[in-house]
Amino acid sequence: MGKKTIVPIGPYHPLLEEPEFFKLYCDGEIVVDMEWETGYNHRGIEKICESKTFEQVFYVVERICGICSTSHPFAYANAVESIAGVDIPVRAKLIRSIVGELERINSHLLWVGLAGHFLGYNTVFMWAWKYREPVLDMFEIITGNRNSYAMFTIGGVRRDIDETKAAQLLKVLDDVKKKTDLLVGAVMDDPVIHARLKGVGTLTAKDIHDFGSVGPTARASGVAIDVRRDDPYAAYDMVNWKVITAQAGDVFAKAEVRLLEMYESIAIIQQCLELLKKEEPGNIKAKVKEIPPGMGLGHAEAPRGEVFHFVKSDGGNSPVRHKIRAPSYNCITTFRRSCIGGTISDAAIATAAVDPCYCCTERMVQAYDYKSGERILNAADLIRLSQQKTDALRAEMLAKGML
Amino acid sequence: MNIEQYNAELKGRFPQIKGIEVVNTKRLMVHIPQEALAPITDYWFNQLQYRYIIVSAMDSADGYELIYHYSDDKTGWIMNLNVLLPHDKPEIESMTPIVYGIEWIEREIMDIMGIKFLNHPLPKRFLLPESWPEGEYPYRRKIRKGDR
Repeated sequence: MGKKTIVPIGPYHPLLEEPEFFKLYCDGEIVVDMEWETGYNHRGIEKICESKTFEQVFYVVERICGICSTSHPFAYANAVESIAGVDIPVRAKLIRSIVGELERINSHLLWVGLAGHFLGYNTVFMWAWKYREPVLDMFEIITGNRNSYAMFTIGGVRRDIDETKAAQLLKVLDDVKKKTDLLVGAVMDDPVIHARLKGVGTLTAKDIHDFGSVGPTARASGVAIDVRRDDPYAAYDMVNWKVITAQAGDVFAKAEVRLLEMYESIAIIQQCLELLKKEEPGNIKAKVKEIPPGMGLGHAEAPRGEVFHFVKSDGGNSPVRHKIRAPSYNCITTFRRSCIGGTISDAAIATAAVDPCYCCTERMVQAYDYKSGERILNAADLIRLSQQKTDALRAEMLAKGML
Repeated sequence: MNIEQYNAELKGRFPQIKGIEVVNTKRLMVHIPQEALAPITDYWFNQLQYRYIIVSAMDSADGYELIYHYSDDKTGWIMNLNVLLPHDKPEIESMTPIVYGIEWIEREIMDIMGIKFLNHPLPKRFLLPESWPEGEYPYRRKIRKGDR
């Protein structure tokens, strides 16, 4: 083998929306090895949660990720409610599922657009993001916000969906369905997309098991796992839907799974809205007095796969430990299998295929002594460290006569 | 799934198990000593084909608790292995040779909790910057037995 070249992608790369760093070791055009670095966006969410009350944690975890701002509260609610043994009202279950599925449609449309952009197929990018707008507007009508919905609370949801909103939602869904048909046509019937995506970034079922990958990444490799079916929560066992899978494991299969999943989400919301008519309006929250000591393990199917929350309570006001596992954490690791052996140009779309979400993957920042409450490293210290680094660099450059 | 039967079988196969409890609906916690971690992980991950979820590290009054979370997707049960490490010797064998994907979280726990994973293939910093002070672990609670 000849000399290897290192091709860096990141940490701030125009193609990718978040900071991450990939080092591709290449022999000519072929990627032979790779390394990655993360931690550019670590905010300390798990630690922050330990200083908030159980109720406040909802509004922290929904800020882990802008796109999954329902999935994290969903998994957290499942975890906390299992500690307290709460049975939430059916109406709240239905509303939770409706918001969850609306988020899936929002997220998949975003991904289809980005995937088109990565391929240089910008028409798909423009279309997908345009058709995503009505979905976001619908979020604003239902929850009051286009993002970070603040819908969930312990024991139920915070806002009801009345008949007027339900009718508006049904109309938007009809439109989204038509637009999905259009996008499915644009992707499935285009010979260029077939040629570009088939056989690229292939993952086998064994790769999926090795890395513990989840969601559309797993389902595109023929691994039929979905928390909504395997360990049903909210209203998913009250409606009819199916788990979409594909066998090829390449980028095309991942696109196919996501596009077809949107139809299932639309069907779930329609059925939930129908069931909502039978429930008494306003009955959206069960009373929860306290969270007893115990452990809660909750998971929920986010657009990217399973979100997992582990909550430990000692009977106090806030969790003593809160561990969060976002789906991308177990999907990004597959790059080692999907990129190596391919060309440099395939690496971009192979990494984008798992819909990586780095802000989900990283979460932490300050350190303090438990007993004295004294902070060991806080924001001011971090600024000081950064200034010291700049000063050292300046001194070094001055010494070399570069300034 | 008949959980009593399952527990009896698991205990028969691995007599080292210290205790098994059902924490709440469809959640099983198996308390094990350090030595039993590798054989049970191998049995769950390779033979029963449980899906690896993540590892949670917790600083409790008795020691550092490591909870290895796995999912049995056929039944919807979340299966957990709980290992307690003493405060004065936070060391355990790396599970990366058995579960390939566990590499990242072990590095993260090394950073935040200061637990050493022996024979880890790439034991370098994961989330914290290179300039972070040595021996400073942000997730340690420094709460010890008899503190309250």
